[in-house]
Order: sequence, then C-alpha cells, then structure tokens
Amino acid sequence: MRSGVWSDKEWECIKSEIPVLDRTVNGKRLVYLDNAASTLKAKSVIDKMADFYLYHYSNIHRAVHTLASEATMAYEQAREKIGRFLNAQLGEVVFTSGTTMGINLLVNSFVRSGLLREGDVVLLTQVEHHANLVPWLRASKFHGFRIEYIQADEKGVILKEAIEKATSVKPKVVSITAQSNVTGQELPLNFVREAFPNAILIIDGAQLIPHKKIDVKALDIDFLVFSAHKMLGPTGVGVLYGKRELLERMEPFLYGGEMIDRVTFEDATFNVPPYKFEAGTPHIAGVVGFGYTLELLENLDLEKIEKQVEILSRYLIDSLSRLDFLELYGPLDDSHRSLVSFNVQGVHPHDVSHVLDQMFGVATRSGHHCAQPLMSILKRGSKIDFPNSTVRASVYFYNTFDDIDTLVEGLKFVRKMFSE
Amino acid sequence: MIYSEFIMDYSKLKKFVGKIENATKVEEGKNLSCGDEVTLYLLLDGNRIVDAKFEGHGCTISQASTNVMIEQIIGKTKEEALELLRNAENMILGKEFNEKLLGPILNFYDVKNYPMRVKCFLLPWKTLEMALK
Repeated sequence: MRSGVWSDKEWECIKSEIPVLDRTVNGKRLVYLDNAASTLKAKSVIDKMADFYLYHYSNIHRAVHTLASEATMAYEQAREKIGRFLNAQLGEVVFTSGTTMGINLLVNSFVRSGLLREGDVVLLTQVEHHANLVPWLRASKFHGFRIEYIQADEKGVILKEAIEKATSVKPKVVSITAQSNVTGQELPLNFVREAFPNAILIIDGAQLIPHKKIDVKALDIDFLVFSAHKMLGPTGVGVLYGKRELLERMEPFLYGGEMIDRVTFEDATFNVPPYKFEAGTPHIAGVVGFGYTLELLENLDLEKIEKQVEILSRYLIDSLSRLDFLELYGPLDDSHRSLVSFNVQGVHPHDVSHVLDQMFGVATRSGHHCAQPLMSILKRGSKIDFPNSTVRASVYFYNTFDDIDTLVEGLKFVRKMFSE
Repeated sequence: MIYSEFIMDYSKLKKFVGKIENATKVEEGKNLSCGDEVTLYLLLDGNRIVDAKFEGHGCTISQASTNVMIEQIIGKTKEEALELLRNAENMILGKEFNEKLLGPILNFYDVKNYPMRVKCFLLPWKTLEMALK
C-alpha cells in the first residue's frame, strides 16, 4: 500500500529514479529505513553527473578554454540554485565537504577572526551529534571559551523552558541542530532566534533540510550547514550559508589556491566570499550533481516531500507505539519527524538490526548515532536495561506504509526469536 | 544467519560473568561503534591463566564470543592464549588459520561475512590482547 501525496504518475517517476528500491537483499524486497544516515541516490542525477564528467569536465574558475567555461558555469549554476532554495545571495553560499566540515570551518574561523575569544560562551544543546559538539569542545580547550548546554529532559527532548533558562548564560554563539538525529525532534528555531536576538546563530540543518525547507532570511539565521548526501545528492558535498557581513569579517579556514587575492613572499590577501572559503580544487562534479539533485526535488515538489515525510513519520510512530515490547525515545508528538529511535526490551540493537536485515531485508541503523552524551541521558530515563545504543528507523519520501509494516513484522519476529 | 543454537546458548551463559576480587589483570575493552563495554578479569599463576571472568553489556555475538573465549583460555599459558588469539583473529579476518586449534571458536566462522559484526566477535579478544601485553 502506497498512500500519501503521490499520484500514480509521480510514484512511477520516483520508482524509476531510485532503481535500488527494486532490489532484493537476502531474498527480500529492500526496505530502506536508514535515510537519516544517508539517502538512496537518483538515476537522473547520476546520469547527468556522468555526462558532466565525460563531456564537460575540467577544473573551474581559472582557465579560459571552453571546457573550463562550461564546468565553471555548471558549478556556479548549482550555487545559484542553492541560493534560491535557501533564500540567500550568491556570495553567501559556500561549498564544503559536508556538515562536519562546515562546523569545523566556523569554529576555526571564529577563533582566528576574534569572533570568539577567551571568556566567551558558546551554547549548544545536549542533543547535538558529534559534528556539532566535538569541534567546539576541542577548540574551547585551546582558546579558553566556555561551552554551555540547553538541557534535554529524560526523554532527550528540548523544552522551550530549557531554552529560556539558557538565556542566563549570555552566549556569544548559539549552535544547534534543527532536528535531532536521535530523538527526531524538530527544534523551535523561531523561538531560539527570539530568545537569543544578539547571538551568532548557527543551525545544523543536516537532518531537517532534506524534508523541510529552511528560509535563512525569514528565520534570521547567521549560519546554516548541511550535507547533500542526506537529500539524494552525492557524498563529499555540503553547504555553508553565512550572512555576507559575517563572512567578510572572517578569516579563511583552509588556505591555498583560488581563495587568494594577492600573494607575495611575505603574506597574502584573500578573495571575496564565498571564494575565500573554497581553497583548492573542490568536488566539482559533486557540486554540479547537487544542483541537479535540488532540481529533481523541486520538480517533485518540496512541499509534497515535506507532507509525505510527515505522513510516514506519523504512521511510523503510531505503528511502533503499538508494540508493547519496545521503548521509544523522543517527543512522539507533532514535533517528532522522519525518524524514531527505539529499543527492543532485552535485545541488543546490533542483534535487532542484523536480524531485520537478514530475515526481512529491512535496513535500519544501530549504535549510538554519533551522539554518545545523549545516550547517557536516554539511559537515565530508560525503564529497561539500556544498552548504551538504540535502533533507529528513518524514512524519506520514497518509503511506503508497506515498508513500515514490514519493519513491524520484523520486530515481532525479533522479539520472539530472542525470548525463546 | 549467524544466530546458531550454539551462539544463542553461549550468549546467555552466566558461568563466567562476574568479578575476580584478587585478579592479576583487569582490562577494559570498548567497541567504539556501539558503546559496548567489557571488563575482563584474569587470574594468573605464573605464566598460566587459572581463572577468568567478565562483566559488561553487549550483543549476542560479543557475549557469546566472550564466554567461548574465557572457556578456552582457562588453563592455558599466556603464549598458548596468544596463539589462540592470533588464529581466532585470522579466522574472522578471512586469513589462514589452524582449524584444530580453534575448536568451538569455529562456530563463529560465518561472522567474517559481516564486517560490522567482526568487531563484536573481536571485542573480548582485543581486550585479552591488551591484558596480556
């Protein structure tokens, strides 16, 4: 059963775009529920990337020959598409290798530029994954700024009261995820902006932006980072949006070719943003491919994608809630989106995932989801023998109710198998 | 499937779970990918392992692997245990190994086909390696 927003014609298009959906694994139809780690890839994007590599490829920005012009135009067109998608200006869209590099760029650039000094406070939440935690933690050891946290409750949920309470620490920088990769909670970004009107606000959009648009101007976000591979795009490509006036004040993260203005044997001055943050030869075909990906998503209709993920999320939460041998984490209300973390009582997450894959063709994620501190919070609130990790099922717009029903069937089997 | 009766049974064994108060060696091992932890207690008499126990949580594979390992190393000298370890490691990494030496450890042979589960199998063995260093 398909159900949801897609017409027959649209569904045919989706099926032909994602050929791996027709694959079997271990004799079963593939049910891919590991979208929060990385999504499947689209045929038209791969075809266009192959065409680009084979017939239009060269290095960009420097040479004057025809291939260089074509490649440069394709690369810059991708920037334009992403700029429109985010409601940002061209100079505000920097290409990175992904979310992790985006955060590392900001942390390093802030300390080099004096935007972050000894005694300053950086505010994170307790639900950040390691990419938005470890770079700040390590830099704070070298540069003397302080890290404070918006506290999560025992279900791993960030409540508005906790956000309000954190205003007392007067942060210079607030860096938070738009949606937790463990609890699935979408954070109230508007509320955060209002609570911290003067802080530099960084949003980690890695989980939210694949299924819900983020308008950087409407939300008055200073920086936004995300990855292409979690929204059908190639791996190794990410975006850093930054307000122009801030990017201009910032020291580059990586130094090298393309990002310079004038170089002597004594020193160098830098190109303008975004180029001063794109040292060396970038992942040209990946960026071009991400442009095609965005085009595909827009043709499918971003609002429909958002709606479909919402419908599937609800069905997933409701289906899992009915299994009394599961412990579910996260808010489970309307703020809970696209993924559910859970444990099967008495069964280790690795065993759950392994059996789901081998017996039912269901791909889920098991582990600490690169969020170890959050695991310790869930452990405290847990009523079972918590194994320091969880199973996570996550949907994208090409999943179906059938997929979730297969997961439920698999979980019942797992329960039975390990209680004998 | 790697969940054979042997592995399921050994994963539930309680015989080797616990502390050895006067242990000669206490070593903590960790699987970074899932947060599983094991504490291995060894009681040595000279060069010989006379008793071993463990504490910790883990999946079926790591629990079964720990139980089988402990059962096999009790009574062996350090050198013999290390020789067993090398062969167990070779088996799980798809390299050449001595079948006769491994005995019941051979029940884990198929785990080598699942790269993410290789770490589960190796958790107790890696911990033993650190303990005997």
